[in-house]
Amino acid sequence: MTTVMADLAVRTEGLDKRYGRTWALHDCTLTLPSGRVAALVGPNGAGKTTLLRLLVGLLAPTRGSVEVFGQSPTTNTATVLSRIGYLAQEHPLYRRFSVADLLRFGRACNLRFDSGLARRRLDSLGIPLDRKAGALSSGQQAQVALALALAKRPELLVLDEPLASLDPLARREFLQTLMGAVADDGVTVVFSSHVIGELERVCDHLVVLNHGRIALSGDIETLLADHRLLVGPRTTNNLDHTPSVIEATHAERHTTMLVRDGGAPPAPGWQPYPVSLEELILGYLRHPAAHDTGHAAEHSEAAA
Amino acid sequence: MIWLTWRQHRGEALTAFAVLAVLSAILLAVGLPMHASFNHDIVQCIDGSAVDREVCSTNLAVFEKSSGFATAILTLLNVLPFLIGALIGAPLLARELETGTWQLAWTQAVPRMRWLVVKVVALVTLTVVLTGAFAALITWFRQPLDALYGRNELDGFDVEGLVPAGYGLFAFALGAAAGGVLRRSIPAFTASLLAFVAVRATVASMLRPHYQPPLTLVENIDAGSHGIEIGTGNRADWTLDEGFADATGQRLTRTDINSFDDMARNAGVNLTTYMHNHDIQRWVDYHPASRFWDFQYIEAGIFVGLAAILLALVIWRVKRRAL
Amino acid sequence: MFVFRLDPNSGVPPYLQLVQQVRQAILLGFLQPGDRLPLIREVVESLAINPNTVAKAYRQLEHETLVAGRPGQGTFVTHTPTATVSPATYTSLRRGLQSWLHRAYAAGLDEQAINGLFSTVHHEAKVEDVA
Repeated sequence: MTTVMADLAVRTEGLDKRYGRTWALHDCTLTLPSGRVAALVGPNGAGKTTLLRLLVGLLAPTRGSVEVFGQSPTTNTATVLSRIGYLAQEHPLYRRFSVADLLRFGRACNLRFDSGLARRRLDSLGIPLDRKAGALSSGQQAQVALALALAKRPELLVLDEPLASLDPLARREFLQTLMGAVADDGVTVVFSSHVIGELERVCDHLVVLNHGRIALSGDIETLLADHRLLVGPRTTNNLDHTPSVIEATHAERHTTMLVRDGGAPPAPGWQPYPVSLEELILGYLRHPAAHDTGHAAEHSEAAA
Repeated sequence: MIWLTWRQHRGEALTAFAVLAVLSAILLAVGLPMHASFNHDIVQCIDGSAVDREVCSTNLAVFEKSSGFATAILTLLNVLPFLIGALIGAPLLARELETGTWQLAWTQAVPRMRWLVVKVVALVTLTVVLTGAFAALITWFRQPLDALYGRNELDGFDVEGLVPAGYGLFAFALGAAAGGVLRRSIPAFTASLLAFVAVRATVASMLRPHYQPPLTLVENIDAGSHGIEIGTGNRADWTLDEGFADATGQRLTRTDINSFDDMARNAGVNLTTYMHNHDIQRWVDYHPASRFWDFQYIEAGIFVGLAAILLALVIWRVKRRAL
Repeated sequence: MFVFRLDPNSGVPPYLQLVQQVRQAILLGFLQPGDRLPLIREVVESLAINPNTVAKAYRQLEHETLVAGRPGQGTFVTHTPTATVSPATYTSLRRGLQSWLHRAYAAGLDEQAINGLFSTVHHEAKVEDVA
């Protein structure tokens, strides 16, 4: 897969966001090539919603810059807004509007709106157009909200915890629709999640956010290839300051380390094992502060 | 956007229309007979063309009795301009914020400023039309009552002419501002109510008497008359205050006046004769009825100005994403 | 039409699972030369996976000359690979594995230890292959 580096879907530079005296985001720098499906993971309160709202222009940065396809969403121009689709947490809809009303709302408020496409999709899901949005099930509401966002034919689709309130079947159906749209239109997707399970089959890009800072970001395949678990006899060396060691866990007789060594051969006595996506994310969430890997990731991306 | 504004706010709009329709029906049902009886029996009594003063007294008494309820109802109707304005204004931002749909509304291709301005203009127009219609209805209804009793009180000035639209606009702006700050419709409505009552009461009681410098009528007291006149002789004038003054023009207090009664009795004369002999005069501070429209313009202007400031604040806050 | 499955807990990357399933199917004759693999869109819709993953799997299979893409028509299974495994070979490999497992259990290893040992040796073998 070739990524044209000039075609970045998202680019942030030193992004800070402050509410009163609290810093919700601090010094966030990341790039996302277009056509990717990116997962934004982190615990509750990490700043995921804030970051996503900055990407779609609902918030303005306190410091730093954010660009979507080279333009700042903060300007809120109709052109910028029409290239971005957003699905907020809990997929809010006008509950007293019928589904048909919602489609009309979309058509009235957008430059480009394919209501035929939305209608066909909702039809195939069995969602009646005359039902009030408030009377739909949670899964159906999520599908309607997604259909609204996709009917704009956005180039970037941003979703805030889209799967959170959905049962497993609704989750699967939602992802089917979403991935179908990626296959059809090549839309770039960013969605946040605090559940790591379903990510690997859907995402090819990862951003780990913790306490308002980016702990890790990059192409998933590259990240998994760059990291590994090393198991060896228990060592008493102080590993916290070794740059490539992300996390070290000690048992009675052996030590397990999560390292980022780009696949270099391990030191003698250490057994290498591949690391799973979940272990990788958890390792960075447990030890965020020591490693400024956010920037390192960008450099390896640029070099690739 | 116009379709959207209507679709989102049609619930409140239709409720307001319905209330006005019901009110119109009631006021027409009551007002038409009242107008008829006024034109038949009363109008000649006050323009001086009546012949029989006895009949006039009776007719006036009857009319007064049958239209007495109107005062209470019209006073109550003061709530309507507020209700219309606040019901339409409070949900503007509050409903979007409390349901989270602001995130849906402001990520479509309509920039949020345009969204807000179109909605505000449309809803302000609606509020003005509704409250204006209300004012026109009341003004028509009150024609006989205005002629007889003037239009200066809470059941007259405050529900006629231009000011109801001003109040409605102010209530709308309060609702919208409170909604933006409190982010919930019902608390916004309540807060608007409190603020509205406070401002209205302050303006009506402390500012309105001073919109223009009051005129003062000074009159001698006729000796031997049966009673002392009150007011300016024109019922429609707005009496602010009245009392007595001594020969030098100094205004007298209640205690002073009470003592005249005793002194007159001691002197063995009629109170009025006593006062006449001592060059006591009576004064009335008032605004003539002809100032009604001037005052309407001024008070409406005040509330429109307040509304404009509040709406500017709302727009500024949304522009700065201070939400 | 060929149906893919995805096991999120297998530890194997999704694209590789797809590749393995196609390889396996060709090996066992479930996919014959001339059969069309499902369109990327169809796989994506049924499995809810990233289309790039499917594209990557199909490219890998093309690289291994197991399949060939025809523009506008889809991806088709080409000839059966020269290194087909005959049912006999397959059965004998299976038996060999069974007896090895028997020995491993007898030696006291449990399932996890066996999996760990196999992964390590397999990984080393692959690394040696590449190097």
